[in-house]
Amino acid sequence: MQRNQIIRTRLGWTLLDGVERLVSALWPARFKGSVGRVLLLPAVLLIGILVIGLGYMIEYSFHELDLSTYRLKDEYSLVNYAVIADRPVYMRVLNRTLLAALIVSVTTVFLAFPYAYMLVRTRSALTRKFLLIALFLPFFIGQVVRAYGWLIILGKQGLINSLLEGLGLPTLNLIYNYPSVIFGLIQYMLPFAILLIVPAVAAISEDVELASEGLGANWISTFRYIVLPLARPGLIGAFVVVFTLTLTDFAMPEILGGGTTDFIASAIYDSFFQLSNAGLGAALSMILVMIGSVIVAAIFYLAGTGTLGVREQSR
Amino acid sequence: MSRMVEVKDVSKSFDGTLAVNAVNLVLNRGEFLTIVGPSGCGKTTLLRMIAGFEVPSAGEIRINNDRVESIPPYRRSIGMVFQKLALFPHMTAAQNVAYPLKMRRFEPAQIPSLVDKYLQLVQLGDYAGRYPHELSGGQQQRVAIARALSFSPDLLLLDEPLSALDKKLREEMQLEFRRIQQELGVTTINVTHDQREALVMSDRIAVMNEGVVQQDGTPVDMYRNPENRFVANFIGMTSLFEGTVCATGDGVVSVKSGNVLLQARSNDKVLPVNTRVDCAIRAEQIRIVEDASVYDNSVFGTIEHRIFEGDRIVYTVHVEDLGGARLHLFDHDPVSHKEYPANERVRLGWNARDLFAFQAPQSN
Ligand SMILES: Nc1ncnc2c1ncn2[C@@H]1O[C@H](COP(=O)(O)OP(=O)(O)OP(=O)(O)O)[C@@H](O)[C@H]1O
Ligand SMILES: [Mg+2]
Repeated sequence: MQRNQIIRTRLGWTLLDGVERLVSALWPARFKGSVGRVLLLPAVLLIGILVIGLGYMIEYSFHELDLSTYRLKDEYSLVNYAVIADRPVYMRVLNRTLLAALIVSVTTVFLAFPYAYMLVRTRSALTRKFLLIALFLPFFIGQVVRAYGWLIILGKQGLINSLLEGLGLPTLNLIYNYPSVIFGLIQYMLPFAILLIVPAVAAISEDVELASEGLGANWISTFRYIVLPLARPGLIGAFVVVFTLTLTDFAMPEILGGGTTDFIASAIYDSFFQLSNAGLGAALSMILVMIGSVIVAAIFYLAGTGTLGVREQSR
Repeated sequence: MSRMVEVKDVSKSFDGTLAVNAVNLVLNRGEFLTIVGPSGCGKTTLLRMIAGFEVPSAGEIRINNDRVESIPPYRRSIGMVFQKLALFPHMTAAQNVAYPLKMRRFEPAQIPSLVDKYLQLVQLGDYAGRYPHELSGGQQQRVAIARALSFSPDLLLLDEPLSALDKKLREEMQLEFRRIQQELGVTTINVTHDQREALVMSDRIAVMNEGVVQQDGTPVDMYRNPENRFVANFIGMTSLFEGTVCATGDGVVSVKSGNVLLQARSNDKVLPVNTRVDCAIRAEQIRIVEDASVYDNSVFGTIEHRIFEGDRIVYTVHVEDLGGARLHLFDHDPVSHKEYPANERVRLGWNARDLFAFQAPQSN
């Protein structure tokens, strides 16, 4: 048996040596430094395409729709932006979207943190398994399916209302309102936020927390002065991601809002596909992109995490 | 002398397995105790119970005569330096050292001067504004110790804080820690699996194995008078072989091992005839001799191999007559440069007072 093992190991080495020689023949060492950059190429390409699309959108947004031909006029104008500023409905939709993004991201991060902390720190393998499954299960169920799921539970003839009826109680309007959209969004965003916070918590060594306790800090102080500052990059990252995802969300307000609580994405959709006004849709999109970028940039600037702590944490 | 720490019959079990088994230790004010033992013997667990991170399954721990088992770590006055230091990465050296002072509500006006004092003590006065990742391993070590000491704790606990350093730096830091400890007179428990560190730094050593304290005493005592085979083997370079008592005298026993008769020291224990014993002998106490008459014991053996260690040569000698035992010895005369090649047949000699005979554990 030992002999066999030795032979197998030898064979393995010979094979590996061969592969190495082949690779170095095909890929001389002087190219090595550029390997990383080459691997980045697909991602850069994708982002590049996105930027081109954005360029077109900017272009569109400056052309008014010609109602006689249903084409965009050739000359440049700010008409689309003027229309948006003019009609209060767009302001309302925008405010509603921003408020939702704020509520959803704050609540989600708030709820995600203890979950992530527990997931990382629990000593029980069973608890960890349960938390992991509960975390990943929603990913297998798409947003639309989940929204319909909520309809089934919360709808007029839904589970809860049938129950209330059965008990002889008046039924409730649980859907097609703002809170139900917020609720659906939080539930949808939670796993994303947890996934973003987990690595930040995992990077905090348990000894550091114990050290803090040994040095005289109770758990509240330890949390305030040690855990929170060290997890901050993860918390901010989660906040930003949830904020932008909510800002641009379409399905939840469509399905759970039932047309009563449109978000800006719905307005964009309507401009493109109901009004066939690509110029207006593009202008709305540009406003969304601008607002999102400014807010995210402001958060990064204020939080002082230029690179989300990617570098600092790894040291 | 007043008692600082008293550990009484303390045990800790994890899922039914005993990590610490009925340990007793007493530590006086200002003493430096080192707990030494192989990996997994329960050193960290014992230390964590004293610090309050772990609750004993049984027994009691007293600090300053107060029972502390149910007092959380932050209410105890203990500075601990962790194996991986656990410095706060988002705080500068000075902020790290100031942290316990803030948490323990020291007078804010007092804090900067204390921070300064302790950074000076560990010779890091010029590094106050550096973050941990901007400091070398040794410097981080010093910050950790300054942080653990800045609030004048009753007790300092060190959990192998030097184990990650290279040999030279480690030896420097050992002396540095000892200097600081003596300067402040702080009662200290140090944990290590490096027996040399234990001998160099401590007032007292406790040797642990499998959750049990095997023996505790001064370094000299532990080295010269080990009480059992484990301690003899763990401290120093020791060779072991088995034998049977065939005559007992005053502190000396005759032991038959293989087909030689040896004079050994029974360490004040009564070892009746026919007792099975483990014999232990330190490498520096065996000599390669021409004339055996000056030594109480002498055997012939063959040099199996030799290891050159610079300041000494370690020989391993195979002794057929001792049931095939292998004895390690240093024999290097740096003046005459007399050396022996492998396979040479040599005569070994040593004295009765250097050969320990311990009653062998009952095998059943
Ligand atoms: N939290 C825990 N849960 C279960 N078993 C544990 C736990 N902590 C320690 N043990 C076990 O207790 C025993 C003693 O561990 P401990 O960490 O005290 O050893 P140690 O002497 O400090 O070792 P080392 O020198 O390697 O640090 C080991 O067998 C270990 O596996
Ligand atoms: Mg340990």
